[in-house]
Amino acid sequence: MNVLEINNLKKYFETSAGVVHSVDGVSFNISKGETLGLVGESGCGKTTTGRTIIKLYEPTGGQIIFNGVDITGMTQKEMLPVRKKMQMIFQDPYASLNPRMTIGDIVIEPMIIHKIPKEQHRDRMINLLRRVGLNSEHANRYPHEFSGGQRQRVGIARALAVEPEFIICDEPISALDVSIQAQVVNMLEDLQKDLGLTYLFIAHDLSMVRHISSRVAVMYLGEIVELAESSELYKNPKHPYTRSLLSSIPIPDPDKSDERKIIPLSGEIPSPLNPPKGCKFSTRCPIFKSDCKNIKPVLKNIGNEHFCACPFV
Amino acid sequence: MSDNEILLEVKDLHTSFFTQAGEVKAVNGVSFYLRRGEILGIAGESGSGKSVTMLSVLKLLGRSGKITSGEIIFKGRDLTKLNKREIEDIRGKSISMIFQDPMTSLNPVLSVGYQLREALRRHKIEGDHKKLSIDILERVGVVPAETRLKQYPHEFSGGQRQRIMIAMAMICKPDLLIADEPTTALDVTVQAQILDLMKELQRNFSTSIILITHDLGVIAGSCDRVMIMYGGHSIEQGTRQDIFYKTAHPYTTGLLKSVPDPDNINNARLIPIEGQPPDLINPPKGCPFALRCPDVMRVCVENLPPEKFLSDTHKASCWLLHKNGGDKN
Repeated sequence: MNVLEINNLKKYFETSAGVVHSVDGVSFNISKGETLGLVGESGCGKTTTGRTIIKLYEPTGGQIIFNGVDITGMTQKEMLPVRKKMQMIFQDPYASLNPRMTIGDIVIEPMIIHKIPKEQHRDRMINLLRRVGLNSEHANRYPHEFSGGQRQRVGIARALAVEPEFIICDEPISALDVSIQAQVVNMLEDLQKDLGLTYLFIAHDLSMVRHISSRVAVMYLGEIVELAESSELYKNPKHPYTRSLLSSIPIPDPDKSDERKIIPLSGEIPSPLNPPKGCKFSTRCPIFKSDCKNIKPVLKNIGNEHFCACPFV
Repeated sequence: MSDNEILLEVKDLHTSFFTQAGEVKAVNGVSFYLRRGEILGIAGESGSGKSVTMLSVLKLLGRSGKITSGEIIFKGRDLTKLNKREIEDIRGKSISMIFQDPMTSLNPVLSVGYQLREALRRHKIEGDHKKLSIDILERVGVVPAETRLKQYPHEFSGGQRQRIMIAMAMICKPDLLIADEPTTALDVTVQAQILDLMKELQRNFSTSIILITHDLGVIAGSCDRVMIMYGGHSIEQGTRQDIFYKTAHPYTTGLLKSVPDPDNINNARLIPIEGQPPDLINPPKGCPFALRCPDVMRVCVENLPPEKFLSDTHKASCWLLHKNGGDKN
């Protein structure tokens, strides 16, 4: 069963310089208990996609279906019960916790918003803190007393406070040290197993995304260029952008690092104010053909549930 | 100058910050050397002292920071003994530095050309400054250089800004370039371009580079030798082969295990290092890693392990490497 279905989702921002095409026709679905990884470079629209799904941004077009219900046109008020089931974890554990609230109050706040009976608050909060590897003594302390990894645990406890089914993880480990990243990733995996959670995992750390995701979607300039099962995508990337992206991941092994060949990308990512016509990757593509400027490629199944938006692979 | 010439040698460096909460011992007796033309990687997590070690070399410690003891020998002179004017003569000329965030490192109200020429003016370099800056911009791939010189930082992308920072750092042809997380804010495809550029410049100008990073992949791909830092100490040093294939310190082992294995398709569970980094105001008495170490012994908590040479190139500080280390229990 699909927890989430996104059809041709669009989010444009009107600015004084023109219309920014941040998300430009994105479609995917996520089934229950699955983790879909969403990767791409800065400015590709992956964060905007996440925020539009939970309707922090009003979608410009397309459809968002959550648990079989179309939430695209819902008002903020109608969204309230939906958000109880759909929560978010943010990148920056420093900026996403209110410095003047105690850890306990931070975790209880969503319970107040979603009208969970007051007598349950404290017990639930303590259970949540234990669940994420903190303890009841931490409840009266303030965010500045915690390290980055511990703060991210608080952010996760807060997201879990209203027993959601689906969590959008927006770069949840990028701000953490390597040795702490593994702690948080393991915890997210345990929680998923125990609580049957579904994740949209947005990140630019391609090796961590591969580790945590069942399927991975690659975005470039507001569009998905390739989507496949995680090991399939990494072993057998088809789209020229994915190939170049994956070849650039630093390998923590000197001999393998010396052997591999990086497929360099020429030039810079074009402005989303004025994206290239036809295939958006055509301006930097190593296998560019003159048709690419005219034909808009569509995401096609090339076998094995491997989708690729390039007709020349 | 021979290839094996030691360009920089840091001996038993101690650097502290004096804050209201007390003395923060950021660097606790770090020693290392750097040969001419070599790339040394320094890896460690936030607060491990990797940046402060290099800021100490340039005496960029601000008002609260102070080198409390140790020597920094650069081309035969001890930099810790130099006064403000003397160290300014070295900064940007013989030793230059680039930082993580190229946007905050560039002045937004001055043109790129003006900022490029600043080092040439300060160090009274002779020659046509405009021509020198066009040359260096072309070298780092910011073209067409002549037009680009007149533009301001906001008109460039993150990757191009980092290229400009590298151009500014290289314009006086320094002996040593210190790069503090130069690619952390950049995307992987741009990171690959910038690391490539740095290696090319290192070959062409025979500049030595110290690359500070938390990314072991960057270390494996770019560095000749590596120093791993933890809690203000250097805990392991060696060639990249030593560090990755003959790993000696449990912290280094932990770091290497906590990143996903690229060959492991069946998604085995990650093996994190449990616990949190040490408090540097009240640093632990013994080994800084003792509290998180899976192999901790009683001696580790009580005594700081001395450095042990495992080969000519490889040394580590861990009681497990000492014959009698375990016997002291």
